[in-house]
Amino acid sequence: MTNCILEVKDVSRAFGGVVALNRVGMSIETGKITAIIGPNGAGKTTLFNLVAGVYPVSSGEIRFRGTPLDNIPVHKRTTIGIARTFQNVLLFENMTVLENAMTGQHARSRYGFFEAALRLPKAHREEETISLKAMKYLNLVGLGMYAQQNALDLPLGQQKLLTIARALATEPQLLMLDEPGAGLNTLEKRDLADLVRRIRDMGITILLVEHDMDLVMGLAEWVIVLDSGQKIAEGTAAEIQRNQRVIAAYLGEEEEVE
Amino acid sequence: MVLRAKDRWPYLFTAGLILIIILIPFHWFLGVKISLFTLVGISTMITLGLCLLMGYTGQVSLGQAAFYGIGAYVSAILSATYDVNPWLAMAIAATITGAFAYFIGYPIFRLRGNYLAMATLGLGIIIWILFKELDQYTGGPDGIGGIPNLSIGGFSFDTSMKRYYLVWFFCLAILLASQNIVGSRVGRALRAIHGGEAAAQATGINTAQFKVKIFVLSAVYASLAGSLYAHVVRQVSPGSFDFLESVVIVTMAVIGGLASIWGAIFGASTILILKNELLVGLGEIETILYGLILVLVMIFMPKGLFVSLKELYEAWRLRYARRGDKP
Amino acid sequence: MSQELFVQSLISGLTQGSVYALIGLGFTIIYSVTAIINFAQGEFVMLGGMLFYVLAISLGMPLVPAVLISIAAAALVGAMLYLLAIRPARGGSVVSLIIITIGAAILIRGIAGWRWGAYPVAPPFFSGDDSISFLGASIHPQALWIVGSTVVVAVLLHLFLSHTMLGKALKACATNRLGAGLVGINPRSMALISFCLAGALGALGGVVLSPLSTMTYDRGAMLGLKGFVAASVGGFRSIMATVAGGIMLGVVENLTVAVNWGPFTSQYKEAIALTILLLILLIRSGKLSEQERAA
Repeated sequence: MTNCILEVKDVSRAFGGVVALNRVGMSIETGKITAIIGPNGAGKTTLFNLVAGVYPVSSGEIRFRGTPLDNIPVHKRTTIGIARTFQNVLLFENMTVLENAMTGQHARSRYGFFEAALRLPKAHREEETISLKAMKYLNLVGLGMYAQQNALDLPLGQQKLLTIARALATEPQLLMLDEPGAGLNTLEKRDLADLVRRIRDMGITILLVEHDMDLVMGLAEWVIVLDSGQKIAEGTAAEIQRNQRVIAAYLGEEEEVE
Repeated sequence: MVLRAKDRWPYLFTAGLILIIILIPFHWFLGVKISLFTLVGISTMITLGLCLLMGYTGQVSLGQAAFYGIGAYVSAILSATYDVNPWLAMAIAATITGAFAYFIGYPIFRLRGNYLAMATLGLGIIIWILFKELDQYTGGPDGIGGIPNLSIGGFSFDTSMKRYYLVWFFCLAILLASQNIVGSRVGRALRAIHGGEAAAQATGINTAQFKVKIFVLSAVYASLAGSLYAHVVRQVSPGSFDFLESVVIVTMAVIGGLASIWGAIFGASTILILKNELLVGLGEIETILYGLILVLVMIFMPKGLFVSLKELYEAWRLRYARRGDKP
Repeated sequence: MSQELFVQSLISGLTQGSVYALIGLGFTIIYSVTAIINFAQGEFVMLGGMLFYVLAISLGMPLVPAVLISIAAAALVGAMLYLLAIRPARGGSVVSLIIITIGAAILIRGIAGWRWGAYPVAPPFFSGDDSISFLGASIHPQALWIVGSTVVVAVLLHLFLSHTMLGKALKACATNRLGAGLVGINPRSMALISFCLAGALGALGGVVLSPLSTMTYDRGAMLGLKGFVAASVGGFRSIMATVAGGIMLGVVENLTVAVNWGPFTSQYKEAIALTILLLILLIRSGKLSEQERAA
């Protein structure tokens, strides 16, 4: 399959005795918006962390553009084109909005201690590119005017946009968004959906984990459903909404909640 | 790009500070002791390394005195015992210290937080014990004397004023270099590690490598300071590089505001003026005061004294400016 | 190495190791309840020894009250450390808590040096100075006191934690701070109690050790490091592992010194202990770091 940017083959992950993911397989199509949904504890975030390299798979294989990711550490995965945001935001609190976005360009620039200490022309040139690109992505998410503010002074909605800008600044081919809609109001969610489509139109594949069904169904071109560590269904939003197993899984969760 | 008033004032500040540093040795200026402010320059260099490591990158080291000591001893041994050219000795010392920091850096930075602190503390004490006990090289508890002056061609740094300018030349050079680093791609990577390692890695930063590199840099700063110390004071002994010295360095960094380049000068001068002018002959009162400073500053101003004072001043200025805007 | 030397080294190791174990227990208790490493732990030992000397020799107090008051005073210092320095900074980063407890350590050390001077002091032995001979080696009665009190304290501590309400509350805090709060245990009082206990344990170590090896105001840091080694063997969780760790360190330290060759001589005794510290930390780094992240 040449048009698949990410292939997850038979992947399992256990923590101690608890199996978080059990022989899950999926193919993420290049240039599409794919959503992973599922009740709490379904293994969505575990899957994200496996792709991002936070911890290794227990068994199985993940391939990114045909290359196995096995022993590639987190920071190298960013370099080869995988970017992510975090459920709990994780901005750099000790930096301005612009600096946060500039940090995203780290893997796309090269100069080091020596050039920095002496402010050599190489550092100057790269720094200019870095800040231009960072500004470009800040403008894209609509935060350009807040560039000089401290990142933590932004309201939550804009903080989440900033993490997207920071991830985009790594110039990824695959962008993974971990619950981008959580904590946003309806209006902000609509803007978010717009933004995600624009990013897709730039040629970046989007993989997102989301709880808000309205957001997912309006946005995702392909939906994968996980439940208790297993894939139970995949299809278009319309197909998923009619799928009996999916409905059962979600109903089950609601019963537990009550 | 036109500089706004806000951007211009750091330049004015730097220029003013350099002017003060140039004028200090002239007795009519402040009437302070040259030798004291020479030591301030040396301590600033070590403190600066710790600020980069602890303040910017968030990694504790309670053993910086060890690197300071290695620099001092290697310079002293090579130049006094083996007649090596002092500049060459200084370069060798910095290389040895840097290499040592590099090799222990990779294993030691697998540790975090409390464990890292304990490991660096232990390491510092081990090195100090070696200074004391390897007496055929280090002279044991008495140390090494008769260390030659530094000189360039026929020009020898043989007066306290010459040595003062020499030290501050080095100190300002690494202050400016550090300031450049902090504002650069590298500096952002360091601050990102402090902000959160998971997020830093996700933006493509090799956190393990950067931690080791900044550790090496801080060690080299301390080593250069140690070499200068050896040639300025012209004798070294283990007492200058013990556990307490490491704590004093932390205190200087804490007073300076951990994440502040210029605060290092402030921290170093505060402590050394206290120690050499105000608390002379009071013995352990000095230690008590360091302890109090560490506890109180960290409780009430976790960003450090200098930085907190600066923030207070800025808040006050802002309020003043707003009031001024009203018609 | 002769058999006598070997036995003698074992005995010295067991004796010193017991003190390291007592110090380590202080680390373990505070860490498991509050996730704080108390860098001032060694100062409690120094305080215990110095206070015992002042009370018993300078003030001529009888043995038992002198011992009890020394220990109680150190427990009070532990309480003050928590109330005046740790609690006001709650929510502070790991780095700031490290700096605070280091600051407290040199504050205590400074006050001790200022009040009592730099000379080593030797408080009285508990029960005389006549050594007992054993397999060609000699055992000082004070050594028996040291080992004995460590064993008793470790057992009492274990019983306290598993059989009393208060002990169970402390343990609950150690397992799950939030959950303990929910069932009505006040984590702050538990933290306070843990600091008191740690102070008392450290001081006990100092009280029993000082008659045998004297005490000076600046020995706290080194003793603290050795207690830390003991506690890190047990991963700051287990009482028995901490005791075992302390005794192991004491024995290894004394046996290597007994080799008396190359770097294994008494002048490098402390360096050997610290090298063991580094090795343990590095070997356990993966696990310890995970704990740190979780805390």
